[in-house]
Amino acid sequence: MQILNYTGYFFISVGAVFLFLGGLGILRMPDLYTRLQAGTKASTLGAMSTILGVGLLQPEWLLKIIIIIVFIAIANPLSSHALARGSHKARQLPYLKDEKIGDAYESETENSEKNKEEDK
Amino acid sequence: MKNVIIISLLGVTAYYLLSAFVSIPFGEDFINGVKDFYLNKSPEDLKVANVVTSIVVNFRGFDTLGEVTVLFLASTALGSILYRRRSSHTALNPQRTAPQASTLVQAGAKVIFPFTVLLGAYVFIHGHLTPGGGFQGGAIIATGFLLMLISYRKFFVEHNVLTWIEALAGTSFVVIGLAGLVYADNHNFLENFLPAGELNDLLSGGIIGIIYIAVGFKVGAEITGILDTLLTIKEAGLDPEEN
Repeated sequence: MQILNYTGYFFISVGAVFLFLGGLGILRMPDLYTRLQAGTKASTLGAMSTILGVGLLQPEWLLKIIIIIVFIAIANPLSSHALARGSHKARQLPYLKDEKIGDAYESETENSEKNKEEDK
Repeated sequence: MKNVIIISLLGVTAYYLLSAFVSIPFGEDFINGVKDFYLNKSPEDLKVANVVTSIVVNFRGFDTLGEVTVLFLASTALGSILYRRRSSHTALNPQRTAPQASTLVQAGAKVIFPFTVLLGAYVFIHGHLTPGGGFQGGAIIATGFLLMLISYRKFFVEHNVLTWIEALAGTSFVVIGLAGLVYADNHNFLENFLPAGELNDLLSGGIIGIIYIAVGFKVGAEITGILDTLLTIKEAGLDPEEN
């Protein structure tokens, strides 16, 4: 049982580290897409790991915790995907140091939308 | 001049508020309050584990009936504001205001939707045992329907069915209250007339469980109806995909 406890604490610490890194990324990153990357990927692993650690400390909750982990695995990537897709559709530009690339990005999105209209 | 009037009005309000608050003793226990009555009577006599629920549904059940009525009136008013006369073309083919969601979101929504409804039903069925209750469970069910409404442009809820659910749930609330007039010991409206059962049992707390199931159905149906009305265009020429 002692080993199970230590593994649980290990998982909780790993999760805490990843949640901290995710929060730091949200503060530190320059634009929406990179912030989404930091905020969703790191926090998915962090939340899963923390909850799994709690499940190892309290083995009678393990079934519920597996259900929660499956839910997080479905819901978290889906919501980040929907957010990123919505902001791309709302013409949210990524942060770019070179303005020429920005123009290329803009014209590319316009072209793709023209193609869509032609498809109709 | 206007500012002077506002400031003097605020001053008068602040004076009366302060004079009211000064009379309440600060930092002492309420001796004349009803908290001891509620805290002792809920688990012992009524066998309700969740004291908040026992106050909301049992001691102040009439107030909750009023809240349900307010919610019903709000959804009716919103529906009447948002109602647009349907032309024959769009009545057959109503449109969503939002564009089509991506395939991934659609697939995920299909997976999550039944579990969301299940969680909502769990919350309002266990309203007298765990935190939550009819209003919260109904709101959770409505979020599941919101997920489906924004994911699928072809997903429409039947407003006739929602109306029937609302009517049946509201009627059963009132009928339970009227049954209290006949069968309960003191013959009061919304008084408990069922056996209280054991503490922490699913079938405990008398009428609280039944009333919260009715409230859960009613709130879920109402909020789902509001969301569907908000997200649907029934007028021709307003489709965002066409413009």
